[in-house]
Amino acid sequence: MAVIDKTAVGRDRTAAATTGAVAVTATLVLLVAVLAAVDITQGTADVGASQVWDALTGNAEAGDASVVVASRLPRMVAAVLVGLALGMAGSALQAVSRNVLASPDTLAVNAGSYLALGVLAATGTTLPLLASSGAAFVGGLAAAAIVLGLSGLGRGTVRLVLAGSALALGLNAATEALLLLFPQQTEGLYAWNQGSVGQNGFDGVAQMAPVIAVGFVGLLLVARRVDALALGDDAARGLGVPVRGTRVTTVVLATLLSAAAVTLAGPIGFVGLCAPALVRPLARRFRGLVRSRLSMPVAGLVGAALVLLSDVLLRAVVPADTAVEVPTGVVTTVVGGVFLVVMALRARDTASAEAPDRLRIPGRTAFLVTVVVLAVVLVGVMVAAVLLGDSKLLLGDVVNWAQGRAGRVVTFVLDTRVPRVTAALLAGAALALSGTLVQAVTRNPLAEPGILGVSGGAGLGAVLLVTTVEAPGSWAVAGAAFGGAAVTASVVFGLAARSGFGQNKLVLLGVGVSAAAAALISLVIVLSDPFDTTRALTWLSGSTYGRNMPDVVPVAVVLAVGIVLAVVRRRELDLVALDEDTPRLLGLGLPRARLGFLVAAVLLSSTAVAAAGTIGFVGLVAPHAARALVGRRHVRVVPVSVLLGALLVCLADLAGRTVIAPAQLGAGLMTAVIGAPYFVYLLVRTRR
Amino acid sequence: MRRHLLASATVAVAALSLAACGTTEPSTDDAAASAKPAGKITLTDDKGTKVTLDGPATKVVATEWNVVEDLVALGVAPVGVADVKGYTAWNTSAPLTGSPKDIGTRGEPSIDTVAALAPDLVVATSDLAPAVVKQLRKVAPVLEVKAADASDQIGTMTNGLDLIAKATGKEDEADALKEDFEASVTEGKKALADAGLDGAEIATADGYEASNQVSIRAYTSGSLLGAVNERLGLKNAWTVEGDEAYGLATTDVEGLTGLGDVHFPYVANDVDGDTFTGPLAKNAVWKSLPFVKAGNVHRLPDGVWMFGGPRSMEAYIDSLVDALTKK
Repeated sequence: MAVIDKTAVGRDRTAAATTGAVAVTATLVLLVAVLAAVDITQGTADVGASQVWDALTGNAEAGDASVVVASRLPRMVAAVLVGLALGMAGSALQAVSRNVLASPDTLAVNAGSYLALGVLAATGTTLPLLASSGAAFVGGLAAAAIVLGLSGLGRGTVRLVLAGSALALGLNAATEALLLLFPQQTEGLYAWNQGSVGQNGFDGVAQMAPVIAVGFVGLLLVARRVDALALGDDAARGLGVPVRGTRVTTVVLATLLSAAAVTLAGPIGFVGLCAPALVRPLARRFRGLVRSRLSMPVAGLVGAALVLLSDVLLRAVVPADTAVEVPTGVVTTVVGGVFLVVMALRARDTASAEAPDRLRIPGRTAFLVTVVVLAVVLVGVMVAAVLLGDSKLLLGDVVNWAQGRAGRVVTFVLDTRVPRVTAALLAGAALALSGTLVQAVTRNPLAEPGILGVSGGAGLGAVLLVTTVEAPGSWAVAGAAFGGAAVTASVVFGLAARSGFGQNKLVLLGVGVSAAAAALISLVIVLSDPFDTTRALTWLSGSTYGRNMPDVVPVAVVLAVGIVLAVVRRRELDLVALDEDTPRLLGLGLPRARLGFLVAAVLLSSTAVAAAGTIGFVGLVAPHAARALVGRRHVRVVPVSVLLGALLVCLADLAGRTVIAPAQLGAGLMTAVIGAPYFVYLLVRTRR
Repeated sequence: MRRHLLASATVAVAALSLAACGTTEPSTDDAAASAKPAGKITLTDDKGTKVTLDGPATKVVATEWNVVEDLVALGVAPVGVADVKGYTAWNTSAPLTGSPKDIGTRGEPSIDTVAALAPDLVVATSDLAPAVVKQLRKVAPVLEVKAADASDQIGTMTNGLDLIAKATGKEDEADALKEDFEASVTEGKKALADAGLDGAEIATADGYEASNQVSIRAYTSGSLLGAVNERLGLKNAWTVEGDEAYGLATTDVEGLTGLGDVHFPYVANDVDGDTFTGPLAKNAVWKSLPFVKAGNVHRLPDGVWMFGGPRSMEAYIDSLVDALTKK
């Protein structure tokens, strides 16, 4: 009897779960429908709700009807399709990699697709849309293959995202570099690295819809096998599921979906990361949503709702004509970033810290040799940076200049070049030190001022000041940058601290905040000065262009103080970086020490941003490489990391100034282009 | 291994530093004091800065295309021009004379290159970042010309021309250019009036496409082309608000539905492709627009720079009058 009872209860539960899941789905469909209805009443033409109704019922004037048919409906359908595709893709990627941070954004799929499209645009190749989406698919797939190949599927959350975000940054930098190299061919929305759902007629939608349908149906077909993977590879194999085949198929299908979305509308940020994250808490309440066959389409619906909501909000808040200039991707990214922060807070999942990488501990000689070699190389690069440029100089010129008896041309060239080299050196060193401090305090190899949104906040603060005040002074810019950085840092660290700096949570918060900050920078610039892409690129990708000596004073002062602090408090840094308990046992006030180091880190990165814009990657690469070279003791890591950071940015700046001279590439682009391959190499090496 | 690295690095640095010794230019001790030509020129630029020149500037660098055009039109061959390739494609009304050096992009001209040219005047516009102007001032006197001003575009254009003419001693040429421009306006206005187009509604535009979205840039009454339209006796039909400097606004295809029965001249360039005959050709909204149906869409010839000087505007007037009176 008891047995029968149990089954009955079990059946009841299943039935209840299914009903719940169906209710959720129905609610979402309704939400998407309502948002879609609102969306088609918005636009630049004087066609509101009643005209749209007339058009849909066939009673409208020809003009109004064509607006609805050729402009509003395609835009709405594109928003739904893009959201659906990205949500599905994100959900599938997360399921198959068993990683809540996997998404078309963090696996660099979007970045790969976008770069492929950028290459097409730059080379002036005009292909039919379907062929372009083929190129986007290849680009996205290549990126995904690199990321997954390097990090190993399901092998470590942090590692995957580490590889993915590194590659994404590198690829985006390459795309931006293309944009600068071929400004005429790649004009328009490309400038913002953000997509927009606006459509020119139904052509694009009609061509991409079948592709998305293929991906959609394909994913539904493999859904059951994907569920089996969640049990673990061995269990899945035990059930007769081909593990490798399923993974490859799923990744290919997800890539297909994101490539179609990127082709249709450009990169619409964050939907693929957010939608599944929003479905997860729902799945906790409605067990039916645990199964991929249901959860993937539901994530798609959530994605569609997100994209539509962003579009609707944008057009409701901003006047119709201005809204044309603001890419939808900017809004989804801001909305997505905020959602991500909220979700990160709600989530109970805080994967424990990974076991620290096994690193050999080199001897004292090795450390000294490393420092000396780095210092020598740095001096060499500095000399090269001062001598090389559009006009090549020789050392004698520099000697003359230093003694104030150089000729006219040499004086001019060095007067402008030396501040740039100085800015690059100091900003690099400051970012590296900042990264070292943050990584120690959070015990998180991914933590970096850029990824955690500190640099983004600094950039936003600086941009707000620069766009509102005519010619502000260097200290004012540094102050504004610090203000912005302090706000984002308090948000990220404050919220993360409440949950004991859980690895995923901190990075999740940071990724959300930094993406939102970058999008807001774009937004501020689009709204204040839509035709000035140069300024946008400077603040989004870093540049030492136009820096004068007074501009680098703040970062110099802060760096000096920071280095002294790090050296004096090196033992505390070691302890803080060790674990939660040891410092307490030794009587170290952990919260106070942490706070002190974090404030220093924020000061360092914000002054670096004020001096050279938002330069990514340095704070991530330099400490990581330093630890790989000389072990984890901070008395060694700090100098090596600072030297590496200075070297990296100095080299990047030199390359940026000379490669396409007389035109210039931002130092931030170059750090990403140089940093990404290095980082990938580092990942390959540590894999053994 | 590390030792080898260190050794080779040291050798490399030593070798490089040896190779990099010497100077590219004699120190000032050796340089002879150059003779001062008579006739100093003092003028106040659009930012209110006093600029003093030893004489009419001949080695001039220009950071924006409108001032490049002014220089060329005045008969001064600039020694440095930002984005030479772009200028050649976009401004054919005043083709570059001499062989100017490319100084990089218009937004970020390379100070190194400008300095190496050792110009005696740099003509920049108010669009260039103040920090950069400050650096350029160390290289040479900088004349900052107002880039654009939606409240008086034609006045801004001629003021800029006059400033540059004063600095280069070409005031007579400037007067001739302004007269030519006025003559062109009078002639164009008459031709349009003769064709019964006095007071006709006009909407000048350009457009671009990215990720399947077509954006259209409206040259409102505050833009230079809009101002010229008005001088020609035409009426600007755009209702969207332009920005304060260039008088430009962005809209999409939908935004054209409010225009009514207008003349729609647009600027395109083969470098970028033609948005209006390309992506828009099949668009139902575009096809339903009254001016498209009436065949009042006119592509202006390549190389009429929309933000240029008197020469560009003459080219605009000629091609516009041609296009509108052809039927």
